[in-house]
Amino acid sequence: MLKVLMQIGVIVAGLGGMTYAHGQQMTEMFIPVGQSPGVSDKSSLIGTIDSMDEKNRTVTVSAQSGVQTVGLTNRTKIWLDRSLLKAPNQSGTSADLQKGRKIEVKLEQGERKQVAEWVKVQLTEPGAGPGAAAK
Amino acid sequence: MRKVVQCDRSPQPVAVAVGVTIVVAMATFSACQTPPRPPSDLIAKGKNLFFNETFKGNGRTCGTCHRAEANLSINPAFIATLPPNDPLFVAEFNPDLKKNFENPKLMRQFALILENLDGFEDLEKQFVMRGVPHVLSLRTSVNSPQGPRTGWSGDGAPGDGSLRSFATGAVIQHFPKTLNRVAGVDFRLPTAEELDALEAFQLSLGRQQDVTLPLPLKGIVPKRGQEIFLDNSLGKCNLCHSNAGATANLGGGNIGNANFNTGVETLPDQPADLTGELVPPDDGFGKPGDGTFNTPPLVEAADTGPFFHNNAIETIEGAVAFYDGESFNNSPAGHTLAAADPEGVGIELDGTQIVAIAAFLRVMNALENIRQSIELLEASAQKRFMERQQAKELLKRAITETGDSIRVLKGGGLHPQAVAHLKKAKELAEDAACSIFSRHRLTEQAIEEQKNARNELVESSPARS
Repeated sequence: MLKVLMQIGVIVAGLGGMTYAHGQQMTEMFIPVGQSPGVSDKSSLIGTIDSMDEKNRTVTVSAQSGVQTVGLTNRTKIWLDRSLLKAPNQSGTSADLQKGRKIEVKLEQGERKQVAEWVKVQLTEPGAGPGAAAK
Repeated sequence: MRKVVQCDRSPQPVAVAVGVTIVVAMATFSACQTPPRPPSDLIAKGKNLFFNETFKGNGRTCGTCHRAEANLSINPAFIATLPPNDPLFVAEFNPDLKKNFENPKLMRQFALILENLDGFEDLEKQFVMRGVPHVLSLRTSVNSPQGPRTGWSGDGAPGDGSLRSFATGAVIQHFPKTLNRVAGVDFRLPTAEELDALEAFQLSLGRQQDVTLPLPLKGIVPKRGQEIFLDNSLGKCNLCHSNAGATANLGGGNIGNANFNTGVETLPDQPADLTGELVPPDDGFGKPGDGTFNTPPLVEAADTGPFFHNNAIETIEGAVAFYDGESFNNSPAGHTLAAADPEGVGIELDGTQIVAIAAFLRVMNALENIRQSIELLEASAQKRFMERQQAKELLKRAITETGDSIRVLKGGGLHPQAVAHLKKAKELAEDAACSIFSRHRLTEQAIEEQKNARNELVESSPARS
């Protein structure tokens, strides 16, 4: 019987029992830069954008801890924090990662520590919106 | 509507009746060392926030959906007792929230709440409708080796995904004045200190540890139900609901709370679907979802229906019967059980066995309610004359719990003698709440009746008396 149960354990684990219980990101987009609970005060990178390398899909951030380059993937979510403008936050693109803007980056867990899970860019200029730099 | 203390005409919100749970687990319901508890003032602060703080939003609080007087959940019968201006119905009277915030029809008929778990880009079509899970016994159910699991699919919290962070996501989803959801305009976010307090309060609710099965049950049918529940070749319930809790033990030790795809979404004739309202499929954990949902504790199940993430089934008997059906046995979880079974069977039960398991769960629920009632009554009895308002609030909570005990036992035709003791205990507690000079004596008598009821359900032992 123990063997059977062990078999169940292995199979069920493979069927979803072991899905990573990370926080769902959907309400995250409405949380302003620096206020993500358990993240902003612990593990995220907060600073200003030094540069955005579209070719290599990396953004370089100048933070208190120093300058750090972080990779973006197709999975990386980019959000525009417009709360200082009292406007709703929106999804953005890498075109919004403009030099000098305040940014918060949550890095992916595990081995790929220099890859962003999500990025929030703070917009302070009235009229700024998604992809404004590309327009 | 449930009977509350008749003599009480004070405007105190019933919400404050949720007493801070005292950690004196009765022997039947304790096997492990009680975990350390946060300071009582932090819990009290969290309780106040939970039931009274609107975070400058649309008027809702956490307690709007997690009602103190409805086992920290809501169901259609309870919703029917609420006035039209209750904040639960904010989508019915706030023009800014009229569209795409809730579906009032599904809320009133099936206690379903709208959630944008897969994003806010298309509010017309991109949402799921979910029931309100109770928040009892979270200390036993949230943790897993993969991280905390919150909400129906285990991914309900933003930030670090913890129970502490859950409130932030809830404020954004359920509290906004408009669908712009601008922090500082449509709501304010909870502070770090508030999140600490809310977490402490939620962790204080209900059981602080799992039960150890089997219990020495007296009733023939519940006793047989427990046997089937624990039989890994028949009921197989204990594999994913270890000790009727929310953690899985699949043979290699307890793996904490886990997510499974049990096929609930494939159930035919789901009540919400029958209305003709738009109810998009719920893909569970993640985006895109993997179809899995996390495991709720069962000790508290019998009085917290409807059941499953979509409130698809009203009764505890129906919820048990689900696992005998095609939806479960054709699901990934059902296939897994079948693959591991020497005869290739997932879960196959007959009607009597389904009812027996449900009877066991009803008795488990009643025992937990009795445990809580005794704690509340004892706490009330310790209050002095000048603290009688606090004593009354504790008594009211005990009365509600006792009403639940009566309901779950009567609903299964179980233990009529225990029901008689519980009715007596309820009457005594109601009298105590109205009495100025005999409160202590009446409360002590109510405690004795609770113990008498418990002794009808399980074999008594010196440790329990």
